[in-house]
Amino acid sequence: MFQPASLKGDSPTPIDENVRKKFIPIYLLVIILSFVPVSILEYYIILYLWRTPFYLMFVLLFPLNLIILIYLLQFSATLISFLFLKTVNLIHTPKEGIFERNIKDKEYYFWNLRNIIKKWPLYVAASNPFPWFKNRFTLRFFGVKIGKHTLCDNTWISSEFVKIGKNVILGMNSTILTFGIEQDKFILKRILIEDGALIGAKCVLLPGTVVKKKAKLGAHSYSEYDFILKEDGLYRGHPAKIID
Amino acid sequence: MESEILDKNVQFISTSGVYKTPFTLIIVLQLYVGLLITIFANLWYWNNLYYYFTNQIIFPFPINDSLIERVFFICLIPLNIYGCVFLFVFSIILFSIVIFKILDKLSPPKEGNFFRDSKEWKYVHRKFWTAYFPIWLARALPLPWADIFAYRFFGVRIGKNVVLYEGYVDPYFIEIGDFTMTSLNICIFSHLIYQDRLFIQKVKIGDACVVGPQTIVAPGTQMDDRAILGANSYTSIGQKLESDLIHVGTPVNIKLPLQSVEDSQEKATKIKETTIKKED
Repeated sequence: MFQPASLKGDSPTPIDENVRKKFIPIYLLVIILSFVPVSILEYYIILYLWRTPFYLMFVLLFPLNLIILIYLLQFSATLISFLFLKTVNLIHTPKEGIFERNIKDKEYYFWNLRNIIKKWPLYVAASNPFPWFKNRFTLRFFGVKIGKHTLCDNTWISSEFVKIGKNVILGMNSTILTFGIEQDKFILKRILIEDGALIGAKCVLLPGTVVKKKAKLGAHSYSEYDFILKEDGLYRGHPAKIID
Repeated sequence: MESEILDKNVQFISTSGVYKTPFTLIIVLQLYVGLLITIFANLWYWNNLYYYFTNQIIFPFPINDSLIERVFFICLIPLNIYGCVFLFVFSIILFSIVIFKILDKLSPPKEGNFFRDSKEWKYVHRKFWTAYFPIWLARALPLPWADIFAYRFFGVRIGKNVVLYEGYVDPYFIEIGDFTMTSLNICIFSHLIYQDRLFIQKVKIGDACVVGPQTIVAPGTQMDDRAILGANSYTSIGQKLESDLIHVGTPVNIKLPLQSVEDSQEKATKIKETTIKKED
């Protein structure tokens, strides 16, 4: 769908400034490495097509060239950050739980590091002008499980600890958060959305929410921490409560 | 039919989404048309520039070769970049409007309740995907009125002096009057997808209305002239918002009277005084 400009960016992740300062070289390295295949391909296209008999061919193939470049950039960015992510996860495996919001806490530190690595591919995917292989494709690489026929391209989904089933409709502009920052506590919890669930526009799911099969959440409502939406239930409100 | 539409479940769930179909490939065609038009319109100019820098001729166009013309052509580069961007976007908008109108002729737009795989379901999806790319581009342009321009072409009736910069608006069955203001992060839906049903009803927003930030206007909403929809609220399907009142709630259930600035200031000072007395 034609999303508003605010949704053209990636999902908001409040990365700690102290960690960000340290790992800016890694962030830049992901960007630079992702441009390498793009520039190699473009170099060969120009080398072979920018010649006397082929000028018109180059011009006619330019739109196709542009599409390929955009997707190549997205795929290479995803792959490279995926490799970085795997190495980081080998050093420290991600865990759920409640932690201190302090860089000395290892979980919090590595959560920030993972998000720095994932930022560039998620940004490229979200600002891709074409509707194919968007956020869902990139998120699947990072371990988010998303089922078939799920509408999720115009929502903000956190990039880990999320599992979404088949035939789910996620409304426009809703947010799925698996992290919560409560003053000096940092919370990481899994979110599970089962098959056939329906979530309205501009909803917020806080960490620990479980949406059972065919449960429905009305527009503009948010769910509390560790809230369970029962099967076939209809929920609404701030925070969400069951209706009849 | 009516009772089915106003199903209790549908009432307060406003989601929107359109599934990807093979017809989505129309975007590639649109990109192709837009880019080729811009390239061929500028070929003569770029051919000249290429000659000035490399002394080679790519395409057999007549070449102007004098010092004044060289300086003039090189000075035109910034203007040319701007021109290319606009030509690209507006040629795509015009091309997709032609497709949109053809689709409208094939299946005239209808309000109502449709099932999956019906003719309307298919055509609604096709129309959305034709409107997707031009509106994405219009939003990406650094001009605030570019998307209003595009919407008007697609058949959304938008009056003069309308503020409609940021937010999601469906490309048809929407009417917005003159001097209406919409705020940040709004969604105006004229369609709603619920399980395997598609529901379409016209949205009408009158003159001089205000649609507050973070609101959802559900299909079938009718806002009378000078009605105000408060921040963070949404309307239920087929709701009527009366004029000269502020409407708040999720879904809208509270009406507040409009006040002049002096009145509201007086009220505020009164409340302040009472709270100070209580503290004493």
